Amino acid sequence: MATDTTTEVAGGFGQVSRTVGQLFRYLLLAATLFGLVFVTILLVYVANDAIQPLTADPGWHLTFFLALVVPTLAAGAYVYRRDGEAFQTGALAIGLAVVSLMFSGGAAMIFADIVEPLTFLAFLVAVAVPGVVTLAVVAYDDRIPFLGQFAVTVAAFYLSLFGVPGPLGAAAGISSVVPGVFGLLAGVPLAPAPWLLAVLSVGLPLAAVGGSLVARDRGRRARLFAGAGILAVPLAGGIVGPFVGVDPLPATVVASVGFVPPIVYAANVAINVPRERVALLIPVTIIVGALVGAFAVDLAGFAGPQSWVDWAFLTASHSNTAEDAGFYPAIGGSILLMVTVAVFAFPVGVGAAVYLEEYAPDNRFTRVVDVNISNLAGVPSVVYGLLGFGLFVTYLGQPDGTVLLGGLTLGLLILPIVIISAREAIRSVPEEQRAASYGMGATKWQTVKNVVLPRSFSGILTGTILALGRAIGETAPLIMIGAPNVTYSLPTSFSEAASAMPLQVYAWSSLYAGPNFYNKVVPAGVVVLVAVLLAMNSIAIVLRNKYQVGD
Amino acid sequence: MTENTSETRAESDGGTTADPTNDEMVIETDVAGATDDRDSTATPDPIIRSRDLDVFYGEERALDSIDIDIPENRVTAIIGPSGCGKSTFLRCVNRMNDRIDSCRVTGELSLRGKNVYDDDVDPVALRRRVGMVFQEPNPFPKSIYDNVAYGLDIQDVEGDHDEIVEESLKRAALWDEVNHQLDSSGLELSGGQQQRLCIARAIAPDPEVLLMDEPASALDPVATSQVEDLIEELAEDYTVIIVTHNMQQAARISDKTAVFLTGGELVEFGDTEQIFENPEHQRVEDYITGKFG
Repeated sequence: MATDTTTEVAGGFGQVSRTVGQLFRYLLLAATLFGLVFVTILLVYVANDAIQPLTADPGWHLTFFLALVVPTLAAGAYVYRRDGEAFQTGALAIGLAVVSLMFSGGAAMIFADIVEPLTFLAFLVAVAVPGVVTLAVVAYDDRIPFLGQFAVTVAAFYLSLFGVPGPLGAAAGISSVVPGVFGLLAGVPLAPAPWLLAVLSVGLPLAAVGGSLVARDRGRRARLFAGAGILAVPLAGGIVGPFVGVDPLPATVVASVGFVPPIVYAANVAINVPRERVALLIPVTIIVGALVGAFAVDLAGFAGPQSWVDWAFLTASHSNTAEDAGFYPAIGGSILLMVTVAVFAFPVGVGAAVYLEEYAPDNRFTRVVDVNISNLAGVPSVVYGLLGFGLFVTYLGQPDGTVLLGGLTLGLLILPIVIISAREAIRSVPEEQRAASYGMGATKWQTVKNVVLPRSFSGILTGTILALGRAIGETAPLIMIGAPNVTYSLPTSFSEAASAMPLQVYAWSSLYAGPNFYNKVVPAGVVVLVAVLLAMNSIAIVLRNKYQVGD
Repeated sequence: MTENTSETRAESDGGTTADPTNDEMVIETDVAGATDDRDSTATPDPIIRSRDLDVFYGEERALDSIDIDIPENRVTAIIGPSGCGKSTFLRCVNRMNDRIDSCRVTGELSLRGKNVYDDDVDPVALRRRVGMVFQEPNPFPKSIYDNVAYGLDIQDVEGDHDEIVEESLKRAALWDEVNHQLDSSGLELSGGQQQRLCIARAIAPDPEVLLMDEPASALDPVATSQVEDLIEELAEDYTVIIVTHNMQQAARISDKTAVFLTGGELVEFGDTEQIFENPEHQRVEDYITGKFG
């Protein structure tokens, strides 16, 4: 009955029945958890197949339970009781360590197989030199007209990257006379060892940033000391790496990208936030527990789980026997695809969002564009694959299946999502902030540059990362543009064909039939793919929380 | 431009007596009691002059033939009930109304003799001469220093910015409270400090006119009186036009008062003391004494 507001006399006021309301509430709860529960169950099954935790000795489980799980829970509970904020800091430190390590793996792949450290360093310097020129020009901007500044800046970048006369001259048939900074450095015959170059090109910038973070405003000396201390980490990576069976170059990169951020974070907490120092108990417990556990297990001879996600799986390429099949080229392909997607979709999407929010007049044209961007977000991905194939391969004559082609196609796919989320972020900038800026006599460009974009940037970044998460899992467009299901080596340039993680999983599940492929290798691939996705999303979530706090 | 140093005052119902086609027409009216001490030194030139100014939001009329002469280096208060168009008038002066699509302005509003609604007037350049302080304190999420220096940076103001920032903060009576934390965020200040920061930001590029849209309405009494003291001091160098709900505030700090009443009419404009003690119009007296509004 709809009118079940039965009242009965109790305590003088009577009671109002809430049965229907309660029922409705639990139905809503069920709706909320429906998808979540089923996906979680699936992932647990997948992870079980991939990692096979039950194949380990009970002693192995017991050792790690005692050495790692119990102390971690105890430390976590202790810190949480003392200070909730410190607990968050500690959890964030662990999350940062995990995410940084995963990213360092990707970075190590890029340096080991795709970009020579010397090339990367030359590129960095070739961009830094005209960058400094640009800053100098901007500092004297009252004496040089805008077009002059623009010309100097463009010329500086062109000369530094390409030299005289560069590709323009090559197009006119003149061979290069003076190489640019890039050409000069990249062609140096006597370069130090690659891992030292990696220390210079990756470790040094990170150390500079980390040093100033840790030293705060304690002056130049403190900053230098902190930076030097941080720089010791990649150096140590390069030196120690060979002794534990890792090449010095990937070891340096992993140490720079994987170890430096959590170390800087921990040092920052330890030095600058004494109140939350207790938070570091959590990561220290976990690291010590893991080391002790590993040592004890080794000593006692307990066998670990026969995981299919192991070092060999991550570093080998596909094989026709399930035991030898690996994921390495697919991971590398996905990384390159994501770089291409981000480089294409981020500026275009944010540009469109800024135009629609800040510049577009409120007329019929804008409304049509508006509605259709939302429609584009719902177009099936296979259609985007067709678009990519038709546009880039048929019309522009590009070879099919290349990184560039795949990246642009996936970029088109997520463009509407990037635009919509960036617009949301821009719209959330309070109108009063814009009014304040315009009231000071700012032009629209100055307002967008100084007020709107800085304030909405983390929101824009969050939306873009979530959109990248969508792109990394897409399979259909890659199939449509003819990306190979299986490659045996990493692509070394953007014009080479590359596979991707979801495509490789698809290939294993359909083309290389065999029970072990179905039951073990596919779950292992899925676990890696989902782990990468979760790492990306966790960055987005941290950014979003920070953004909301800052509001 | 009409140079008129004698007692020049747009009469309350001036719109009906003035020929709307004659922009140069000035209504001279002798108002009794105009020889109080403030005005004994002769009324300064009007810096802002409006003739037959109408504003529409779509079909709705927000201002009805406003004629007003606002004197230089004085505090002019605009009072009136909600929805009477006082904020709309203020936003006409620096053309902030341009940002509202449905807003349409006709008539003349001139700053030092130049109609700001002429086609060749760049509203951005206009706003660099006319600063504005808003109802809610709205500092940027930047450091205190960068907030004050914002106008200097975007307008490429010459000179030592550090000095100008310090000077502006001193004039906004905020320097002593923030000089040790110029690098911390402007949002960490209290509401009253934030509003004084916004005033420092507005005066840093040295505008000619300072518009204030109920600058103290979101503040507590102590912060309000600080901001009021500040406004009186600022009037030594700036023309201040302040919109306020608070009649005591208008009486305390302003030299001239304009009373807008419902329908976007300017009913009476004159010396503050005269408006509050001996208004010409019964409607103004009713409003001031709280009989309606």
